[in-house]
Amino acid sequence: MKTYATVALLLAAALPAAAGELAAEVQVGYFDMAAKSSAKALFDSSGGVTYGGALRYTVWRGAFVSAGLRTFSKDGERVFLLSQGGTIQKLGFPVSVELQPIPLMAGYRFRHGQLIVPYAAIGAAITSYTETSTVAGESFDSDGSKTGFIGAAGVEFGRGLFRVGAELGYSTVSGVVGLGGVSQVYREDDIGGFHVIGKVAVAFNLGGKPKPAPKPKPAKPKP
Amino acid sequence: MLQRTAVATAVALTAAGSLPPVTAEELVPRASGQASQNMAIAPGAHREGEVIVAFRDAVDEAEMERVLRSGRAAGARRSRFGPRVLAQLEPGVSVAEAVDRFSAMPAVAWAEPNGLIWVEQATTFAPNDTLYRFQWNLKQVNAERTWGIQKGVSTVAVAVLDTGVAFEDYTDPVTGQAFRKAPDWGDTRFIPGYDFFNDDAHANDDRNHGTHVASTVAEGTNNALGLAGLAFGCAIMPVKVLGANGIGTFFALADGIDYAIGYSENGVRPVKVINLSLSSSGFNQTVKSAVDRAVAAGVLVVAAAGNNGTSSVNFPADQPNVVGVGALNAAKEKAWYSNSGPELDFVAPGGDCDRDDDGDGAADCVYQQTLRSSSVQAGRYDDFGYFGFQGTSMATPHVSAAAALLFSQGFTDVASVRAALEQTAERLGGAAAGGRNDTFGYGLIQPAAALPGYGFNVGTKK
Repeated sequence: MKTYATVALLLAAALPAAAGELAAEVQVGYFDMAAKSSAKALFDSSGGVTYGGALRYTVWRGAFVSAGLRTFSKDGERVFLLSQGGTIQKLGFPVSVELQPIPLMAGYRFRHGQLIVPYAAIGAAITSYTETSTVAGESFDSDGSKTGFIGAAGVEFGRGLFRVGAELGYSTVSGVVGLGGVSQVYREDDIGGFHVIGKVAVAFNLGGKPKPAPKPKPAKPKP
Repeated sequence: MLQRTAVATAVALTAAGSLPPVTAEELVPRASGQASQNMAIAPGAHREGEVIVAFRDAVDEAEMERVLRSGRAAGARRSRFGPRVLAQLEPGVSVAEAVDRFSAMPAVAWAEPNGLIWVEQATTFAPNDTLYRFQWNLKQVNAERTWGIQKGVSTVAVAVLDTGVAFEDYTDPVTGQAFRKAPDWGDTRFIPGYDFFNDDAHANDDRNHGTHVASTVAEGTNNALGLAGLAFGCAIMPVKVLGANGIGTFFALADGIDYAIGYSENGVRPVKVINLSLSSSGFNQTVKSAVDRAVAAGVLVVAAAGNNGTSSVNFPADQPNVVGVGALNAAKEKAWYSNSGPELDFVAPGGDCDRDDDGDGAADCVYQQTLRSSSVQAGRYDDFGYFGFQGTSMATPHVSAAAALLFSQGFTDVASVRAALEQTAERLGGAAAGGRNDTFGYGLIQPAAALPGYGFNVGTKK
């Protein structure tokens, strides 16, 4: 309830801002795969460190577009399991999976130009999937790329050249996995997932100085 | 009535090679030896003393020569097919140093070590056993690729419930009968077994069936001697439940099964597979109960389908929790003697000693070390050779060995081992619904395909 109230307050405080700001972000955080059961079977956990970067351009007032690239990888070992809920038998052969989502998003910064800027965005996540595994010299590889949905919300602090921020998001990208291996056993076909990242941004104003918000005219004294 | 049934079933329980084991011409060892084709090239490996130099387009001959000299190339070979030069470095100049030097020159587009490339070949293991070339049966189950992945571990044992195994040098203190250990066991480990015929711990072979069967599982391999076994790194538990005439009783068989599953070393039960190269035409609840206990204890029970050439599988191979095995000849056809039917799970090489489909000049029996039949008949158990037998008895240990290799790799439960073998078996004869048919079951086992298990999005390869 408190969160909702805070969000409502921030929305209410949204101020118009100038276009033309370009920001470059470096991102580090945590990604948790949507295909949890498959990931846990091979890697013992479904989450891990993700890192990457993004470029954001403010096109009009607080509206912005952004494009980024993050990477996430997990290393584990091949397994056999008979069915969902069956015993996971680790077989000792290495297997690695790497996900590289390219989030292309459009969103709105609600208090652009202020010290604390909440934002929300949605868009497409073009996600590439690479699985590599070698068993005694024989490759068991798989790769593919699909576009899915991504949504994110965050907050950025600072209004100078350097900013810091945090973001929560979720992506869903179906159709690359689930065709074989443990993902087929668990019937999991989504290579998206939940992310929480921290970021450091360097922002440049390409469109000149932002215009200050117009001062309210003093009310004419009534006769 | 009960007594009559017991007598009848006791007589019916025989080594599944109920055909008289066919002894082909004895194989005589000759030196051969096959080199392993394993590739072992480290990442980043390159030819010493050579650097590939690519020049920019505008660079003329004179400039190239000047660059090569100043990069300390003693010589150079220009490609006749593309814009690159292979610089041969002066003695003492390292590749890394030369790459750095050339790369810093404006006339050079790039310079890099002359890295090595190699054929993309899965690791295989070709043993040097002198008669290995006659083991068409091992080639049929892709043994060399299997060994490239897994050779078996000695903590996993196959209990061979049979006529005994020639596993020790032993002289019976009562009869004075001398038994000798077969010569080609290599490093194979034997787990203490039991002789349910003589009620002692010396489960020696007084026929030659059990030694042959056990040798298919774990005959000494890559020891420059004789023949090979499919799971030669695994251990064997010899359990004697069949007599010198190849006949035993259900009571002894049930005892043998319970002995195998009850044996433990430091709290760990090494027997993961029970091989039953035997069969009977009749059901027996005592054996069925023992089999149920084995499967519940995580032990896979593998049994011969029988050699009657009929369309029904013998007991106990016909039980749902027992893996029933039929036989193939070298042409991957159902062997003429092999039983088939809806209870059949797999087929494996069982041989046909009247044919030479692989054209190696030897009859297509399954060859392994064992006791010489003529010596056994004369009461001698110290005379060995490499002999060819045929039967579903011979097919069964191939499946037992494959299962033992899966357990060695990390498979832990019986159902998974069965499922992995089912998923990866080579389908034969047009498999019907469910991936099987009554002639070949799920098909010919291919352990190399089962061993890798699953990745995230890549399952087993057939």
